[in-house]
Amino acid sequence: MNNTPDELASEYVLGTLPAEQRSEVEQRLMHDAELRAAVDAWEQRLLPLTALAEPVPPSAQLWRRIQRSVAGPDEATVPWWNLLALWRGLAGAGLVTTLVLAALLLTRPPNTEPSFVVVLVAPQSQAPGWVIQASNDQQIQLIPLGVMEVPADKALQFWTKGDGWQGPVSLGLVKPGQTLSVPLDKLPPLSANQLFELTLEDPRGSPTGKPTGPIQAIGRAVKVL
Amino acid sequence: MPESIFDYEACLLACARGDQQALRRLYEQDSSRLLGVALRIARDKALAEDIVHDAFLKIWRGAGSFDPCRGSARGWVYSVTRHLALNVVRNSGRDVPLSDEHEQLAEPEHTFEFTARTGQIHTCLEQLDPARRTCILHAYVDGYSHSEIAQKLGTPLGTIKAWIKRSLAALRECMA
Repeated sequence: MNNTPDELASEYVLGTLPAEQRSEVEQRLMHDAELRAAVDAWEQRLLPLTALAEPVPPSAQLWRRIQRSVAGPDEATVPWWNLLALWRGLAGAGLVTTLVLAALLLTRPPNTEPSFVVVLVAPQSQAPGWVIQASNDQQIQLIPLGVMEVPADKALQFWTKGDGWQGPVSLGLVKPGQTLSVPLDKLPPLSANQLFELTLEDPRGSPTGKPTGPIQAIGRAVKVL
Repeated sequence: MPESIFDYEACLLACARGDQQALRRLYEQDSSRLLGVALRIARDKALAEDIVHDAFLKIWRGAGSFDPCRGSARGWVYSVTRHLALNVVRNSGRDVPLSDEHEQLAEPEHTFEFTARTGQIHTCLEQLDPARRTCILHAYVDGYSHSEIAQKLGTPLGTIKAWIKRSLAALRECMA
């Protein structure tokens, strides 16, 4: 069969592929960014059809089974308030936000448009890695808080997506440890809750124009009064 | 809680940090709907519960690698569950005549009366010929294979394959 990636993705998401082809697609999804983007788009298109299946209340044991499996065998469950990474991350993010806000307060001329600040944290540890500050709608600055390790054959790519946008937009490649100024003149004005993230991509950037690699840092825009 | 209010993305972030309460909230929010999705495909309640169990485990372990730029968090949760269910039925080699018991379990045709539903996908589906629309819905909602649909509709397999291929192309264009 000479299926285009989009046709293959559509039948994979629809569910009509036989077992062998399903596992082939799942293998390819790990490294084939074009196919992955096509699958993501089809998942979004067809998702509302899940509402056609009537909800069925699960039996009382199901949650207990899940809970046991999540806790793992004999593994003592650490309650969330004892998670060091969580508090370390929150404390770090709080401190950084304070410093950025203080800097903005001191440097910003009064009576300008509301501006935005974003703290980008590592998804797992919540450790802050970068901050973004925008003192106007036209330009943002991405400021590193340290030097992030990036594998030699990879690059960091900077993305943003506002609520209601079709998809994320690339803001270009970022060198670890360097401050980057990005003009936003071709994009809609910054808005509260706008998503920013850095992903690991090929040295020349994502081949699909959409993020494909693991997220290194992520955060959302917060309005500063 | 309505889907529009529940913050799926925050829930996944909390799961990635190891917050089991977040997973519990997701369970309370969506387990019935996810079980409904899995049951339509698996057609067996115990098997469907196994699928939802595995899905929650996969969500818990994979929450850290979820990328909100690639799609909605809610969509990811549903995709994980649906694909686990589809893998179970495809790998079991289920491709046999649908039994009488299943006919009872299965939807009466009016289940697919969705004219009152809103959203682009429904508008686009309505533009398809009814038989072709039924193919798409049996495949997506019931997890039917090409040959199961052919048998159910009493239509040759080659015709079903062509209908589905063209219907998907039409949907893609309609939703562009």
